Amino acid sequence: MSSKYLDIFLREAEEHLTSLQQGLLRLEKEPANKVLIHELLRNAHTLKGSARMLGFEGVSNVAHRLEDLLKEIEDGEREVDERGVDILLRGSDAMARLVGALAKGEAPPFAVEDFLAALDRGDVPEIVAPEPVGRDEEGLGDTVRARVRTLDSLVNLLGELIINKKRLEARVTSLKSLVRGSEPPSLRELGQFQRELEDDVLYLDYLIQELHGEAMELRMLPLRTITDGFQRLVRDLAREQGKEVELVMEGDGIELDRVLLESLKPMFLHMLTNAVDHGIELPDERKAKGKPAKATIRISARHEGDSVQILVRDDGRGMDPARIKQAALRRGVIDKEEAELLRDEEALYLTLRPGFSTSEIVTDVSGRGVGLDVVQKNLERVKGTLSLRSEVGVCTEISLQLPLSLSVVEALLVACGGECYAVPASYVLETIKIRSEDIITTGGKEVVSLRGVTVPLVSLASLFGLPGQKELLETGKVTAVVLRLREQLLACTVDRHLGSGEVVVKQLGAQLKRVTFVFGATILGDGNPALILNVPDLFAHAEGGATTGFRRAFAEHEAARVRGRILVVDDSITTRTMERSILVSHGYQVEVAVSGEDALEKVAGFQFDLVVSDVEMPGINGFELTRQLRGLDAYREIPIIIVSSLSRDEHKRQALDAGAQAYIVKGSFDQGTLLDTVETLIG
Amino acid sequence: MEEGKKVGYNIDDILREMRDEYWQGLETVEEALEEQLECVTFTLGGETYAFETVHAAEVLRIPRLVKVPKVQELIVGVFNLRGEIVAAMDIRSLLGLPQLPFGPSGRIIVVKGEKFHTGLLVESVKGVTALPLDTFEVAVKSLSGAQRDYLRGQLQLPDGLVILLDIKRLLAAPEIVVDNG
Repeated sequence: MSSKYLDIFLREAEEHLTSLQQGLLRLEKEPANKVLIHELLRNAHTLKGSARMLGFEGVSNVAHRLEDLLKEIEDGEREVDERGVDILLRGSDAMARLVGALAKGEAPPFAVEDFLAALDRGDVPEIVAPEPVGRDEEGLGDTVRARVRTLDSLVNLLGELIINKKRLEARVTSLKSLVRGSEPPSLRELGQFQRELEDDVLYLDYLIQELHGEAMELRMLPLRTITDGFQRLVRDLAREQGKEVELVMEGDGIELDRVLLESLKPMFLHMLTNAVDHGIELPDERKAKGKPAKATIRISARHEGDSVQILVRDDGRGMDPARIKQAALRRGVIDKEEAELLRDEEALYLTLRPGFSTSEIVTDVSGRGVGLDVVQKNLERVKGTLSLRSEVGVCTEISLQLPLSLSVVEALLVACGGECYAVPASYVLETIKIRSEDIITTGGKEVVSLRGVTVPLVSLASLFGLPGQKELLETGKVTAVVLRLREQLLACTVDRHLGSGEVVVKQLGAQLKRVTFVFGATILGDGNPALILNVPDLFAHAEGGATTGFRRAFAEHEAARVRGRILVVDDSITTRTMERSILVSHGYQVEVAVSGEDALEKVAGFQFDLVVSDVEMPGINGFELTRQLRGLDAYREIPIIIVSSLSRDEHKRQALDAGAQAYIVKGSFDQGTLLDTVETLIG
Repeated sequence: MEEGKKVGYNIDDILREMRDEYWQGLETVEEALEEQLECVTFTLGGETYAFETVHAAEVLRIPRLVKVPKVQELIVGVFNLRGEIVAAMDIRSLLGLPQLPFGPSGRIIVVKGEKFHTGLLVESVKGVTALPLDTFEVAVKSLSGAQRDYLRGQLQLPDGLVILLDIKRLLAAPEIVVDNG
C-alpha cells in the first residue's frame, strides 16, 4: 500500500468520523432532523466506500452496519432513542480506533468480528479495550489547513519581495555608476541615492512584517479543534455517574496558536472531569436544593486585548473556603496565623499549592481543586494565568488567561555567565543595581529591600550552575532583574542587561522535551540561539536557596583590599601619622619610613603595592628615592605618589621624570585627594 | 473505474506506483547482497567510528554552542541550524571514551532521528566510504553493557579498526533526551 493513498484516506476518514460523532450527539437532541440524518448517512456511506476501495475491511464493515441503521432511521423504521444513539456512537468509536490503528500501522485493536456480531444482535457492543479520551493524544498533526486567501496573500507578498529585490539591484547599478563616474559624486547625488535606498528598505521592512504576520496566522487554529470531543466526554462521564449535565460552548471559533491548543487540551479534560466527578451533584440532591436537575457546564472563550480569556463554569456545589482552610491547616500547608489572615477569595487558591491537592481528605471535604496545581503548572508553561471564583452551593468558575500566540514575545535580554538569556517581559518588573550594603541576610537567605518590600535575592548563575560574577564585585554593584509571578517578587542577579525587544519563540525540539528553567529559544542578531527563561521555574527553584553569596564575596573582596600595602615615607612625624591614619581607616595596611634610606631598606624586605613619599628629607630626597625604586626589579611598576609643599611646575616635572605617577601639593592636601589618588592607582 | 475516478483515485496510477515500489524493493535487496555498507567515518576518543550514511544529514564546523542549564553532561549545548534549534551531544562519555577538547578539526554530524534532528560532536570526519562487511565482527564481549548497547560491532580494514555505531539505538536511547517534567 502506497503511503500516499493511506494518508489521503486517513485525513478523509478523520473528517467524516468527526462529523459523525458530532452529528450523532446532535441527533440525540433533534431526533426528527431529516437533514442531519441524511448527512450522517452520507458520512457513513463515504467511509464505507473509501475503506472498501483500499481494502480496509474492518472499517468498511462497521461503516456498512451504521449505514444500514441510519437508513432505517431515515425511512422511519427505527426510532431515535438513547440506546440507538449509543449503538451508533459505539460504532463510530470502533471506526476511529480502527483508523487510528491503520495510521500507526498496527493490527485492529479489538475483535471486529465480535463487535459486528453484537451490532447485528442489536446490543450496544463493547470495544474490548476502550478508547482513551481524545483521539489525537499525539497532538494536532503535522498538516495545516490554510485559507486560500491566506495563501494568495503569501504569494502576493513574495511577488512584492521579488520586485523589491529587483529595485535593490537597480540601486546597486546606480551606485556603481556613481562610483565609476569621471568625477566624484556630488552631495546632491548621494543624498538622492540615500533617500531612494531608504524608501526601498522601509518597504522591505513592511513586506517582512506582513509576511511574518501571515505566516504566523497559519499557526492559528480555532479552539473548536480541541473542544469537539468534549460533548461526548461530558455526556459519557455524567451517564456513568447517574448525573445529568449539559455542556455549553461559547466562542469556540476563537483562534489560538497550535502549540497553545495542544497544551490546553489536557487542562480542559482535567477541569471537565473534575467538575462532573466532584462539582456536580446528583439530580435528586440538586432538586432538593431547588436547582434544575440538569447541571450546566459552560466553557466560554473571548478576546481580551492581547489575550484570550477562557471561563469554565459549573453550577455545582462550589468550593467552600472555610473547609478548604481547615483542610490546609490539617495538612500543614498553612499555619493558624496565616489561616486567620486569609480572606475567603484567597483561601480558594490554597488548592493550587502543591501538597494540598494530593490530600485525600481534601478530595472528600471540598471535592474540588483536585490536581488544579497541575493545571496551573501547565498553564504557566504557556505563560497563562489562572483565577478561581466560587459561591458555595451555586457555582465554581475557573478562569484562564492566555496569550494569543506564543510565537513572538516581548523579552528582556540579559547576559549571565557568558550566555545571553531572554526573560519574557510580562514577568519583569524592573532592573535594579544592588550594592553590597543593600543585601540583608535573614535565616541564611539573602534579601534586598525594594521600596520597603523585602525581595528574595538569587543569583541566576548559581541557579544554573554557571561561573560566578567576579569582575562585578569589584565595582561593588550588581545588576538584578526583579521578576513578578502573581503576587511574589524575586530579584535575580545577572551580569548585565542588554535591552529589550520582541523575540521569535522557537521550541527546543523533541530531544529537549522539558528543560528546567527553559521555555524555548530565540535566535539573536548574530545568528546564535538564546534560551528563553521559564520564570515560574526560577521562582520554584529559588525557594531551594541558591544564594548569591554576594555578602560573603563582597566581604572577602574587602578583605583582599586590606592586603593592599602602602609605604609612607616622610621625615615629619605629623605628616607621617596623618597620612597613615587616613589610609589605615580606609582599609589599607600602612608601613612608615622616616627617610629615603629607611624606605630603601624597608622595600628590600617587603613588597609594597604603593609608595607615598615626601620630597625634602634628610639624606636622599623623594625624587632620588623614586629613581632608585624604579631601578629595582620589584618596584619598576609600583605606583609612587609624591606629596610635597613644593608647588612649582618644575618640581612636578622633576617628580614625573623620576618616575612618579602622581604629585600632590601639601597645601591642597586633604584626605580626599590622597585617597582618591591611591584608589585610582591601586583601588 | 468510473467510480474510482469520482472519489479521486485512479486505479491505474495506484497499480503503477505499486509496480514501481516492487521493482525498487528488488533493487535494494540486490544492493544488500553485495555486502557493503555505505558509512560516514569519523573519530571519537582517537578511534575510528562509523554509521550508515542514510542517517547523516550534513556535517558542520562546530558553531557556538549555547549551554542549557540542568541537563545531562552529554548535551553540550544547542545551536542554530538554519532557524531550527538543535542539540549537540558529546557521546564519548556514553561510550566510555576519553573526552579531549574538540580541536579545529572537530565537527558536528547532524543526524536524522525519527523524532528529532541532533548534532553528534566528533573529533574529525574522515569521509564517506563503502565498508566491506566480510570482516565484520559482533561487538566484543569485554565491553561493558552500556557501551555494547550502542555498538554493533567492528570491521578489520587494511588501514585499521572501524567500530560500527548502532545509531538507531543511540537515537532511541532515553539517555539523550531531556525531560525534566
